[in-house]
Amino acid sequence: MNPYILTILLFAMGLGTTITFASSHWLLAWMGLEINTLAILPLMCQSHHPRAVEATIKYFLTQATAAAMLLFASITNAWITGQWNLEFMSYSLPTTLVTVALALKIGLAPLHAWMPEVLQGLDLTTGLILSTWQKLAPFCLLLQINPSNTSLLLILGLASTLVGGWGGLNQNQLRKILAYSSIAHLGWMILVLQFFPSLTLLTLLMYFVMTFSLFITFKVNNSTTINSLSMSWSKAPIISSMVPFILLSLGGLPPLSGFMPKWLILQELTKQSLAPLATLAALSALLSLYFYLRISYAMTLTMSPNILSNALPWRLPSNQHTLPLAITTSLTICLLPLTPAIITLLTL
Amino acid sequence: MTPIHFAFSSTFMLGLAGLAFHRAHLLSALLCLEGMMLSLFIALSIWTLEFNSTNFAMSAMILMAFSACEASAGLALLVAMARTHGTDSLQSLNLLQC
Repeated sequence: MNPYILTILLFAMGLGTTITFASSHWLLAWMGLEINTLAILPLMCQSHHPRAVEATIKYFLTQATAAAMLLFASITNAWITGQWNLEFMSYSLPTTLVTVALALKIGLAPLHAWMPEVLQGLDLTTGLILSTWQKLAPFCLLLQINPSNTSLLLILGLASTLVGGWGGLNQNQLRKILAYSSIAHLGWMILVLQFFPSLTLLTLLMYFVMTFSLFITFKVNNSTTINSLSMSWSKAPIISSMVPFILLSLGGLPPLSGFMPKWLILQELTKQSLAPLATLAALSALLSLYFYLRISYAMTLTMSPNILSNALPWRLPSNQHTLPLAITTSLTICLLPLTPAIITLLTL
Repeated sequence: MTPIHFAFSSTFMLGLAGLAFHRAHLLSALLCLEGMMLSLFIALSIWTLEFNSTNFAMSAMILMAFSACEASAGLALLVAMARTHGTDSLQSLNLLQC
């Protein structure tokens, strides 16, 4: 893509998120979300492939619907209460409608159906931007409204963890697996939103780090299916040996840093006397763990029967920027001992 | 709920139902999206009139500007779909299934 246009689009994406972060008026927050959506659309369909165009159309329709619902809820709130401030929504109908609109925006179950198909149609870099950056602005809004409807958030969260686990079981396309993993992690974030919002932020940031390393690993291997991952051990052995740790961290196993958000969320849910819900959420993490293990099995733990013309190919220096991969992989594996410091940092 | 509130709420809900249940053409989905934005424009305009001051009168125009950008993006996607899929029929958007 033309570098000037790419600069403008990336700048507009940053601007949209920043406007939503900085806003306390609903109209300004809606404007930031719209700018964000409009800026990523050309990035999504830049290859002009039919699958990319289809993914862009589906993304556009869902995000536009969600933004319109958000604005309708805020106008209804203004009609009832007379003010437009984000933090002072006290009536249940507008707050519920805002929560549902933001759930559609980020892809929580049962409003998740667009997510696997949209991620499947994009290339890995744009999919990474969609999974990470585009979630920041809606989460900023979710953290600021005071959700009054306890059961709605719990239903959204539990349904997302279960759907994210079960939906990813039958996939061998990596981008769809990443979409279902995103849905499951977003479910965990929403579960604890009304009790301890800092944990939502912590889970979001940890999810960003883990997903970033996984996306970049797949990009380095230039693979989009599990089958093509099985050839990566001969091309990049160090990355292949680190991938099981990244995947187990996504699955939430100690002593990797992915355990940190799950542990703290389960602790908080138990303190709020929601132990059966915590048990169900922990059990649903097993479903996700199964397909993460399947990827690591195909990639690292077994040698596939694909014919290798040369088991030890020349390892030429690659032009890919692997420094972000190195940083995020280290953070994905080693961050658990810093849990008290991170919690103190985020509970400001 | 005042009659005006009911009017724009029901317009919005009808547009939303049309957008959610569109089955044949992408263009009908975009039209319902525009209908929803129009109902929000009317709501914001009447909200401004309730106050007898021009303090917030710009909001309706800002909404209209963003709605126009969104509509043009939707139409550009309609053209892109016509170029790649050959039609705007929604049943042809089935390339990305599992």
